[in-house]
Amino acid sequence: MKLGGNSNGRVAASKGVPFSKNPVLAVRLPVWRSRVVLFLLFFSFVGLGARAMWLQGVSTQFLQKQGAARYERTLDLPATRGKITDRNGQVLASSVPVKAIWAIPEDVLQAPPEKINALAGLLEMNVTELRKKLDSDRSFVYLKRQVEMDVADKIAKLRIGGIDERKEYKRYYPQGEVMTHLVGFTNVEDVGQESMELAQQKTLAGSDGSRRVIKDRLGHIVEDIGFIHEPHDGKDLTLSVDSKIQYIAFTQLKEAVQKFNAKAGGAVVLDVHTGEVLALANYPSYDPNDRRTLTGQQLRNRVMTDTFEPGSTLKPFTVALALDEGRIKPTTLIDTGKGRYTIADRTITDTSAHGVISASEVIEMSSNIGASKIALSMPAQDMWEMFTKVGFGQQPKWGFPGAVAGRVRPYKSWRPVEQATMSYGNGISVSLIQLARAYMMFARNGDTIPLSFQKVTEPPVGQQIIKPQTAADMRAMLELVVSGPHGSAKRAQVAGYRVGGKTGTAYKVENGKYAMPRKYIGSFVGLAPLSAPRFIIAVMIDEPTGLYHYGGQVAAPAFAAIATNALRAANVPPDSSVTEIVVPASGGPEAM
Amino acid sequence: MTGKLCVVLSALLVVCGLSHVNAQYQSRHLLIDLDRAQQLSRQLDIDWAQLQLDQSTLGKHERIEAIARRDLSMTPLTASRTQYLTEGE
Repeated sequence: MKLGGNSNGRVAASKGVPFSKNPVLAVRLPVWRSRVVLFLLFFSFVGLGARAMWLQGVSTQFLQKQGAARYERTLDLPATRGKITDRNGQVLASSVPVKAIWAIPEDVLQAPPEKINALAGLLEMNVTELRKKLDSDRSFVYLKRQVEMDVADKIAKLRIGGIDERKEYKRYYPQGEVMTHLVGFTNVEDVGQESMELAQQKTLAGSDGSRRVIKDRLGHIVEDIGFIHEPHDGKDLTLSVDSKIQYIAFTQLKEAVQKFNAKAGGAVVLDVHTGEVLALANYPSYDPNDRRTLTGQQLRNRVMTDTFEPGSTLKPFTVALALDEGRIKPTTLIDTGKGRYTIADRTITDTSAHGVISASEVIEMSSNIGASKIALSMPAQDMWEMFTKVGFGQQPKWGFPGAVAGRVRPYKSWRPVEQATMSYGNGISVSLIQLARAYMMFARNGDTIPLSFQKVTEPPVGQQIIKPQTAADMRAMLELVVSGPHGSAKRAQVAGYRVGGKTGTAYKVENGKYAMPRKYIGSFVGLAPLSAPRFIIAVMIDEPTGLYHYGGQVAAPAFAAIATNALRAANVPPDSSVTEIVVPASGGPEAM
Repeated sequence: MTGKLCVVLSALLVVCGLSHVNAQYQSRHLLIDLDRAQQLSRQLDIDWAQLQLDQSTLGKHERIEAIARRDLSMTPLTASRTQYLTEGE
């Protein structure tokens, strides 16, 4: 075989010998040497093959992941918490994006001192305070949360190594202390802590999304890869509250609490047609935007969570039941004697001797003896059923955190004297909102509807409790309380409108006994306007001190003030020609 | 013959390759534009929420009442000073 070619001159030019004749070619090497080379080559190929198998087969996922990590980024798409608005669309709570400033302490401490001073200034912190925060072994320290955007931008401009920011939301409550017991507030993590913010946490919060992208060297998003998880923003919540009526209720309540030197107070306004809570005010209150000095007293939602012995505000239920069962008529005469009535070992008293009075006048003058006598003419079970039907002692299902059931003892354990005292609201405990809701059956035609804290779009279905005629009779009696000759709540009169209601004064119970010296809770529950009830307004004044403490003296004027303004705000046409209200100076005390 | 086909096909391949590059380039630009537009929309949402907040803060009944009483010397309406008109009378 001829290797190479003479023609193209592959020759060892210098020697003039053709390649094939090269003497080196003639050398015979031992066979094992080529075998060794072959063997080595073979093993290198096997090695390469194995390596390729390893990379492609076994560790491929890991490698691909590592590759992707160098150009792919996952972006968090945080959902915004839904807004809370009142029934007319006024914003009550809204989230605004802010930044949390965090640091890697070790890196930050290497920054020049003047930059750290500037940082402390922007964070509104002491330099020593800031350094104390940074003096930590941890690799992640929050310096300040909920920093507003413009401040965060200035901090970013300082370009301190180890300082970073994280997006978060801050919740603002423009209506402040007026609305806070209804709206509630969220914590720093944007999670609802109180009232509607807590109750509706799930719908308000929404769900965060994420998106996987390829970013280029400049940080621009170049391509979406894979699936985008769209964030779902929280749903907006429309409450039933009317911010105007709420404001009226809050200011009038505040005025009453301060005027009568009371410890606290609560007021609630309900819409008779829809069962919506138009206002729910407590005093003392707090500003949800600044909760540094928040106390339990301020936080307390008395209307919902405090129960008290309602006192005489309960008498209408006893009388209504007797009317409904046909046991009495409004004109039926009852002998209340000289103002003292003894059952077993207990004596029930009236504030003065009323003598023989009609059932109507029992309500008008708020006679304990009259109510007791009516109650004792009925089986205990009937009374218990009435209380239960209107919601006393029943766990409320209104979707409001902390709402309490109150207490009505089972009728089998009632002694006759207890049945008598319960007719005028002793030995039973209710919350103010339960009381207001119970009056719904008098304001409507004997039926009651569920309460709602959210705007109602469809008319609710009522549950009949008493006959429509009984409800009408009761409204007439409630009007006498306010404008009758012996009425106990003349101060509840409203110029231009007919109103009705019932006063209540109860001794406070502390540690299972009546507090000594006596502490009072004065209350008033009323309907307005009486010709076609639109609002139920309940007011409670807790521990008024000084000259006045009866419901007719402390709570009734607040009711009148709230009703006057609320009726005007709601454009309710007047149904009375009386435009000047003259209240007797003494006001007249009434029974409990 | 096959030579000509080869030239035509390779020219076609080059054109396809270039148009693919162009399409990729355009899609990335559009994506950046889309991203910017979405960011703008988010910012506008935030601004809107902020304006609503401001409206609620400035429209607080407390503030309105204070201004009406103090700056405009207005007094609350009472029933005795009100003339009610009924439609059709």
